[in-house]
Amino acid sequence: MDSDQELIELVNKGDPDAFEALYRRYRDWVYHLAWRFTGNQQDALDVLQETFTYLLGKFPGFSLTASMTTFLYPVVRHISLTIRSKNRPFTTDEEILGELPAPASKETQSSRSELAAVLAVLPDEQREVLLMRFVDDMTLQEIATALNIPIGTVKSRLHHALQRLRHDRRTRDYFLE
Amino acid sequence: MTEKKGHFDEDLDLRISPKLSADLNTLFKPQFSVPSELDRAIMDQANRRLVQRHWRHRVFRHISIWRIAAAAAVIIFAFSLNLTQKPGPTTTSSFIVEAQAVDIDRNGRVDILDAFKLARYVESADLTDKNLSPVSSTGQALRKQGWDINGDGLVNRNDVDSVALAAVRLDKNKGVL
Repeated sequence: MDSDQELIELVNKGDPDAFEALYRRYRDWVYHLAWRFTGNQQDALDVLQETFTYLLGKFPGFSLTASMTTFLYPVVRHISLTIRSKNRPFTTDEEILGELPAPASKETQSSRSELAAVLAVLPDEQREVLLMRFVDDMTLQEIATALNIPIGTVKSRLHHALQRLRHDRRTRDYFLE
Repeated sequence: MTEKKGHFDEDLDLRISPKLSADLNTLFKPQFSVPSELDRAIMDQANRRLVQRHWRHRVFRHISIWRIAAAAAVIIFAFSLNLTQKPGPTTTSSFIVEAQAVDIDRNGRVDILDAFKLARYVESADLTDKNLSPVSSTGQALRKQGWDINGDGLVNRNDVDSVALAAVRLDKNKGVL
């Protein structure tokens, strides 16, 4: 399987198949992230399309200096917030969290609902770093690069987010003794 | 915009149950997947743009190559014209002819001694008329020998000056003979 860098070189030479491979590799990640920001399927699909249109516009001559997720994250974030403010100007992150799908079983429903409730009271920047770490599986350095903040700030935000979850009786079970 | 200093504890990260990540992923997973129509739309767009840009890039590159080639051809042509116009070998032969004309003592070199020799002849030849008359026998003899350097029909001090000048000039040019 070609690396991102190899695919980008091929796309720079005008290879549509290499672009399709990149698209397939990051489509779901971009879509999930967009959905996380917008909380709306149609908006998320619009973000997906605009993100890859933006990426396409970078070719030829595109050079990747960090990981692809680090490059795409701020793009998806910016487009999502723009589309969200255009389509639903008064929607807050908390409302988006409230629109999260209902879990399947009663037991998981309970734990995930409680997790969602605790997440809802986290400051936006702490929740964002937490999700980047545990949903997007990004390293601390990748998070710092994507958000353009010092790595110390990333550690600090993550620390406070985890402390809040750890000390809340609804989410303390997520932590091993 | 100061944040409370707290360090993200890598050990704490290790003590987090994998369930947290799993639940977060479930919570933030869109209910619907990306429709295949959107995939096709994005790939069609990529195909169009990449092929179009690739051809534009290639055409531009070819035009550039032809431009460079044409410029190089013009330069080479102009240079060759300049070379043919430059009287390279002719210059040498004219120098030889000129040098032979002023090589009074016929020793194969044009130097200040030729000027002295000519000066001596001029001084001793016709004392009444410093300019040796073209009709006088001495004058004719000297002209026959090619000592009328400046070709004015007279052999006089002006010819001595011409020889002296030629001697100096040839000397500066490292000589021809």
